[in-house]
Amino acid sequence: MFELIQIIVIYTFIMGSLYLLISLGFSVVCGVLRIFHLGYGLIFVVAVYATWMLMKEFGLGLVPAIAGMFVIQCVFTLGVIYYPIVRKYSEREEILLTALLLVALLVEEAANYKYPALAGLYIPTTIIPGALKIGATTISHQMLIAAGIAMLVTVLFVIYLLKTRWGMVMRAMSQDINAAQLMGADVGRTYAFAMILSIIPPTLAILVMAPFWSTDPKLGWPLLEIAILVSVLGGLGNIKGTLLASYIVGFVVAVVGNLIDPRLTTLAMLIVVVIVLVFKPEGIGRSESLW
Amino acid sequence: MVKVKLEHKRGRLVLHIGDLKLECTIEPRRWRNPLLAVAVLVLLPPLFFHRPDILTLLTTANIYACVAIPVAWQMIGIGRMNFGPQIFIGIGGFAAALLSIHLGLGPLQSLPLVIIIGLISGFILSPLTIVAKGLYYSIITLVLPLVFMQLTYVYSNIFGGEYGLSGVQQLISLGSMKLNFLVTFYLSLLMMLVFMFVVNSIFRSRMGLFAAAINDDEDVANALGLNVNWWKIVCYTITSMMVSLTGWFIAYNVGGFSGETYLPLSFMLKILLIVMIGGRGEIYGTLIGAYFVSFLETGLRAAFGSISHVLFPLILLILLLTLREGLYGLYSKHRYREYYPTVRVRKR
Repeated sequence: MFELIQIIVIYTFIMGSLYLLISLGFSVVCGVLRIFHLGYGLIFVVAVYATWMLMKEFGLGLVPAIAGMFVIQCVFTLGVIYYPIVRKYSEREEILLTALLLVALLVEEAANYKYPALAGLYIPTTIIPGALKIGATTISHQMLIAAGIAMLVTVLFVIYLLKTRWGMVMRAMSQDINAAQLMGADVGRTYAFAMILSIIPPTLAILVMAPFWSTDPKLGWPLLEIAILVSVLGGLGNIKGTLLASYIVGFVVAVVGNLIDPRLTTLAMLIVVVIVLVFKPEGIGRSESLW
Repeated sequence: MVKVKLEHKRGRLVLHIGDLKLECTIEPRRWRNPLLAVAVLVLLPPLFFHRPDILTLLTTANIYACVAIPVAWQMIGIGRMNFGPQIFIGIGGFAAALLSIHLGLGPLQSLPLVIIIGLISGFILSPLTIVAKGLYYSIITLVLPLVFMQLTYVYSNIFGGEYGLSGVQQLISLGSMKLNFLVTFYLSLLMMLVFMFVVNSIFRSRMGLFAAAINDDEDVANALGLNVNWWKIVCYTITSMMVSLTGWFIAYNVGGFSGETYLPLSFMLKILLIVMIGGRGEIYGTLIGAYFVSFLETGLRAAFGSISHVLFPLILLILLLTLREGLYGLYSKHRYREYYPTVRVRKR
């Protein structure tokens, strides 16, 4: 019994942290821009395939390739997602959401065309190989590092939001966009910056997960699904709620995966989300308020 | 003796049967172009009798339209965008396939059962239209088909996993493959025209007025005495059943059913684009959208090979961002419109 509890606690921490890293950027976009970023999955695809392209086609080492990939991510986010679509169609969500989905599909197909899924790819981001035995369970070092990075990134995000002037502007905009504008907040620039910020957690997530996660052009959809479930449960765009929701979902996954059937974890996540939505439609946190 | 009288009155034919009065508009602008379109769709396919690929393409377009027509009605009738209507294709398709494989039921035998299954499953999920407000509704509907798809993997002994189910009876078997293709096209056309006639009639009826009121402002509609929740449930349940019927047709037409083909986001996106690029909730626009998307996809594949998978979403993206009222908007640009539905996502 003690061993089982130990396994569930460890997996809750690991999976919860991974889910936090996956969904943090999604929450930031929801909270600041008040839009639903259905193209969020493409961040993962661009992260993997841009790194792979820079390594394979340009012969760059891992670190320069990752640096180049971040530049590509920023240019793509601003040049393709934010300015032509999000900024222009933020008031017409039916077009915005469909266009974001289309861009995600476009990126997926482009990645599949250049690097077909069957050919495979490998991003050597394993930091410490091997595994650690904790009681009855064995966890790979990479998963522990991923969990650690998730905690670190979240702490940095929270510090940024609570202690810096730009963070304060973002919080103000998430609470009342009109009042923030009246107080002199530069809405356009803050939105653009929030979009850039939102690519950091998912990019880091897929880089550290790459050694133990399936990487193909379709990898964005299941990760988008996780981000959606966690963000909805946490209250769209609320970082506190997302933090709590990640570990709740992690707990559900750990319990269902270890006690019932590992294949039923996503279904269990959805049931929890639907139950919470029925009784608390705005989610755990204060919906559409960043903190 | 019941008195029957037919008279022509201000562009309408009025039929009096005793106290009953039936009216039919004979104004040419109302029926001329739809009739011409139907005539083309009915008369053209026999010319392609020896081209099963073209007949299959036309059948596919009709199937897309059969999904898009109820989805367009649903978007107006419940005032929100459903991002996962394909879950009901899955429900109808798997129900038909399982009934055929395990109970040996033919298409006509399983039809009433699939209708009932579609109605029940639609009714069970219909409270979502009330509970999940605005954006949350879109999110939940987006995730539901994905979860269903995973269930098909988990219970692969029932749903056949990634490969789906096979061994479903054929929709028709006339001894000639070419004749089968032609008749299948006509059956899909018949189904699509029935859907269009039903939804078009509803849009012009009192129920259509309720749908328009809910679409414009739920609170105002409620304040005016409309039972908004009831009409949303009715709309969601019936449209879900119609989409399930399309799943039934697909299962018997293909001889099997796979969740991998019809449940992913990419298929949903195709339906959504048919509705959006066709005409943003315009019922005739869905037909134009369905044929346009089908021909574009196949044409690009034939002309450009594997890069067509990149060009297809690219062209649709450009059209989505440039055609404000969709393809149907180009046609109806200079026409007087009494009501133009606004399809929106974030409604309370």
